Amino acid sequence: MSSVGDDKQTPVGDGVPGAGDAPVPAAGQAASTGTEAGAARDGGFAELRAQLREWRAAIDRVLPPWWSRGLAIALIVIGIVLPFFFSVDSGFMNATIIAVAYAVMALGLNIVVGFAGLLDLGYVAFYALGAYSLGWFGSGFFYKAHIHVLVSPVAGTLPGIHLNFLLVLLAAALICAFAGMIIGLPTLRLRGDYIAIVTLAFGEIIGVVAVNGQSVHLSGGETLTAGNLGISAVDPPYFPGIGLFNELNLRPWYWLILGVMLLVLFVNLRLRDSRLGRAWIALREDEVAAVSMGIPVVRTKLMAYSIGAAFGGMSGAFFGTYFTVVNAEQFQFGFSIFILAMVIIGGLGSIWGAVAGGLLLGYINYYLIPDVLNSLPSKLGLNFQLTEIEFGIYGFLLVMMMILRPQGLIPERRRRLELTAKVSVSSTDAELAEPSSFRTTGVEE
Amino acid sequence: MTTSTVAPSATFAMRVERLVKEFGGLRAVDDVSLDIPQHSIVSMIGPNGAGKTTVFNMLTGLYKPTSGRILFGRRDITRARPDIITGLGVARTFQNIRLFGAMSAVENVIVGRHARMRAGLFGSILRPPWVRREERAVRERARELLAYVGLREEGFDQLAAQLPYGDQRRVEIARALASDPTLLLLDEPTAGMNPQESSALTGFMRQLRDELRLTILLIEHDMKVVMDVSERVTVLDHGQKIAEGPPEEVRANPDVIEAYLGAPQ
Amino acid sequence: MEAGSLTPRTPVIAVRPLAAIRRYVGRWGLIVALAILPIYYGVRDLTHGYAAGVVAGHPVIHHDLTQLGFNFAVGISNGAIWALIAIGYTLVYGIIELINFAHGDVFMIGSFTAVGLWGTFGIGLSTGTAGVIGGLLGTLVVTMIVCGVLNVLIERVAYRPLRSAPKLAPLITAVGFSFILQNVGLLWRGGSPQSVNDLTRQGDTVFHIFGVPIVRGYLMALAVMIPLVFLLGRFISATRMGRAMRATAQDPEAARLMGINVNLTISLTFLLGGALAGAAGLVYALYNTNIWYFQGFKAGLIAFTAAVMGGIGNVRGAVLGGLIIGVIQALADSRMGPQWTEAVVFGYLIMIMVLRPRGLLGEETREAG
Repeated sequence: MSSVGDDKQTPVGDGVPGAGDAPVPAAGQAASTGTEAGAARDGGFAELRAQLREWRAAIDRVLPPWWSRGLAIALIVIGIVLPFFFSVDSGFMNATIIAVAYAVMALGLNIVVGFAGLLDLGYVAFYALGAYSLGWFGSGFFYKAHIHVLVSPVAGTLPGIHLNFLLVLLAAALICAFAGMIIGLPTLRLRGDYIAIVTLAFGEIIGVVAVNGQSVHLSGGETLTAGNLGISAVDPPYFPGIGLFNELNLRPWYWLILGVMLLVLFVNLRLRDSRLGRAWIALREDEVAAVSMGIPVVRTKLMAYSIGAAFGGMSGAFFGTYFTVVNAEQFQFGFSIFILAMVIIGGLGSIWGAVAGGLLLGYINYYLIPDVLNSLPSKLGLNFQLTEIEFGIYGFLLVMMMILRPQGLIPERRRRLELTAKVSVSSTDAELAEPSSFRTTGVEE
Repeated sequence: MTTSTVAPSATFAMRVERLVKEFGGLRAVDDVSLDIPQHSIVSMIGPNGAGKTTVFNMLTGLYKPTSGRILFGRRDITRARPDIITGLGVARTFQNIRLFGAMSAVENVIVGRHARMRAGLFGSILRPPWVRREERAVRERARELLAYVGLREEGFDQLAAQLPYGDQRRVEIARALASDPTLLLLDEPTAGMNPQESSALTGFMRQLRDELRLTILLIEHDMKVVMDVSERVTVLDHGQKIAEGPPEEVRANPDVIEAYLGAPQ
Repeated sequence: MEAGSLTPRTPVIAVRPLAAIRRYVGRWGLIVALAILPIYYGVRDLTHGYAAGVVAGHPVIHHDLTQLGFNFAVGISNGAIWALIAIGYTLVYGIIELINFAHGDVFMIGSFTAVGLWGTFGIGLSTGTAGVIGGLLGTLVVTMIVCGVLNVLIERVAYRPLRSAPKLAPLITAVGFSFILQNVGLLWRGGSPQSVNDLTRQGDTVFHIFGVPIVRGYLMALAVMIPLVFLLGRFISATRMGRAMRATAQDPEAARLMGINVNLTISLTFLLGGALAGAAGLVYALYNTNIWYFQGFKAGLIAFTAAVMGGIGNVRGAVLGGLIIGVIQALADSRMGPQWTEAVVFGYLIMIMVLRPRGLLGEETREAG
């Protein structure tokens, strides 16, 4: 956090220039004071941006005020009926399922990095813990136990701990919420870049424990994890009345993860506009000012870590059951960056941005690159497949995003107008303001 | 013109005893003691680097004193957390405006009220009727406060970073008032203001003291404001208190003059 | 009782336990924490003994510190490599308060470049000694230049445009560049570790100290590190550019006002850091006889731990930290098993950053409260 006695201006904005394109622009409140200053700064792009803003303002005037709500509902409806346009085992649906699960992850990380401004580079830890929650409580791994709760008749006869998938989700959320607090605790007094390193270190440690867990013996001859061999006897979800999920029919899987995503989305939207959400953003913007306004730093930050982690864990549990194996190799640092890329490309702090980023990168990773564009380099005469430069592409996207459009595809709702990097201190600004004086008469209502 | 409303046996809003703050080898604040009477306006002045903001930061819990004691009412808040101190009724503004840039003016003020709101995690997610009522009430109160400090209505929903400087100052004060404080610490509130604005602010401070029953401690460089509004003035130089008393007395104090202007020739 | 007077026991609000722990830990606590591993294993070796070889079916038990000495020898040699990389981290952080996330991958590119140059210069296993030495010196120079320039390029493209942005932004671009470089390595030499020619016969024992075999590899690592660190130290303390670096690290604004070209100074810092990472890359390839596109990520975290342990911003600290981490790593590798080493090193990293972020030799960091 910035030093208080500092005479340096703490930038009140996010310090990043760029046009603010939000899905919910306030009618009539298009960028006024920001425009001229912005135009003067940008030179070449200024005219283009100004023109775009005019068109957008014109469109806004025509649209009814509820258009964004309507759009959201329309998208959700499309999401629900989507499977019916594809076959039950369509490759596209497979990619979509994974993309939606990634969107859940992105929503979780968005709370930590986007809302609260805590750069967590170890998010893979919660993927791992979520998946292992499934491995522990939804499979035959702990073969000495015989616990069955609301599972399919077949699974009901198998050894191990078999809980209904919804209970597994709950377990994953709780375990990860707790783990999130543990991981967050050491970072509370650290600066931003140090937080990144500590969380990264935790992520790596969890990875090491996952791999070596096969030699960590618990009572009764069982081990903590199955290391790189993986826990492969994980249950598919089962709901009484719907039956057991299988790999031939992807639709129930899709609706399950869609349901999870809608739930997580709902919680996110509620939190963003609540006391807690505002506290997170205040902490992110200026920790010193936030704590001076009565926001308890420790509690608020740990909440962010916990809740973000819980969502990651839920998604992790889903991945575990969808991929039918929980394998230590799945939990690499690259995954943390992958999710971070989703949040950043989508728009740091933006809920719909996180969804968009998750879906986009999920599709790119599981559909576009491997299926559609993989042979592109060879067609261009180059000697490799596109999948081989996947990570380079993500790296490149990250760099481009931060330099060209740091606010992401769908900027955070609050950053509606063009932000400048510094607080306006010039006296000209004071002169431009209409004379409004402190009321020296009148009683406070 | 100051009218002293401090009765001889008045209670003290805040009492500071022998406060010391060392940074490494540097003593930024050296044995400063201070009493702030209830419902008074007290100024802390001194040349740049005298340690005034450091004292402020200790009073609000951002720095831990190296030694000394701070009492708010009857509670020892010397080592208390800043958010708890705010919850007890101490609010502040900053020398360099520290508004939350990604929020509107209204939202900034709403955040100021954080300590007085009760919605927790589940309240925020589920939004039962009492939470909705709380949100509505807080939003109304925020708009009231913004109007009270004189912000024009068009500015309410503008992003704080977009507002002109004078308006930002107002929002900061509204934000400080949002927590229903009993003690208000203002760090150079008239910085960057022209004489009319400063004079309006002075009147406003008296209004806060009289209407809202606030106690105000301010750091100020504008001597006219200090003379005009303070009931008592404390002078710091190089971390030490070199004078204290009613404004006219302090103004005539030779040590004070020397500190500001250098030794007389 | 008067309302304003004090009650006999005024309630104190809030306790801060972590701060209290920190006060007591201090530098000595850190030293103790670091010394625990060698001391523990040293004592265990002396009392319980360790198995060193088999004679007639029975393991031979030694009760001496030779095994520990061996760990130290390996550790210090590896540590020399980490030290060179750590200096790069610490210089950059000292001057612009940024963790150059891509630095470890610059090191990896250094290894790859060096190995590539062996082919270009035609140094192989059958080359004579003079040829090898000459060729390696040439490789060293070229690799250092390449990596130095690479680091400067990264600074220009990824960090300079974002200097006024919040700290999150350059960190992200740094991560992005790290990925790009890793992909370059992946394409260059594939996804699995590649063994390379053991040009210096690094495993040959040269002499013994107290029974600990000292192999060429150790000497080579130190032979590269010590002169480079010495030269860097002289540069920073005795030349004008070095002074400019120190000034900019302390106060960029003041440095600018004094007429120092801050941008050039920063670029120079990246150049030096990158060059040292390149040197480390060459040493690594010779010593390890194995290179891998992923080595930069691992090495980067280890070296960063070293930089933080020594005190970020402090070159001597980076060297010290590198050597210490090398020893800890060697101990963990041989005593606990290499699969746990990472967890041990990162455990230390977390511990240091939480309890004593300024490390062994660093000054109080600029945090409020």
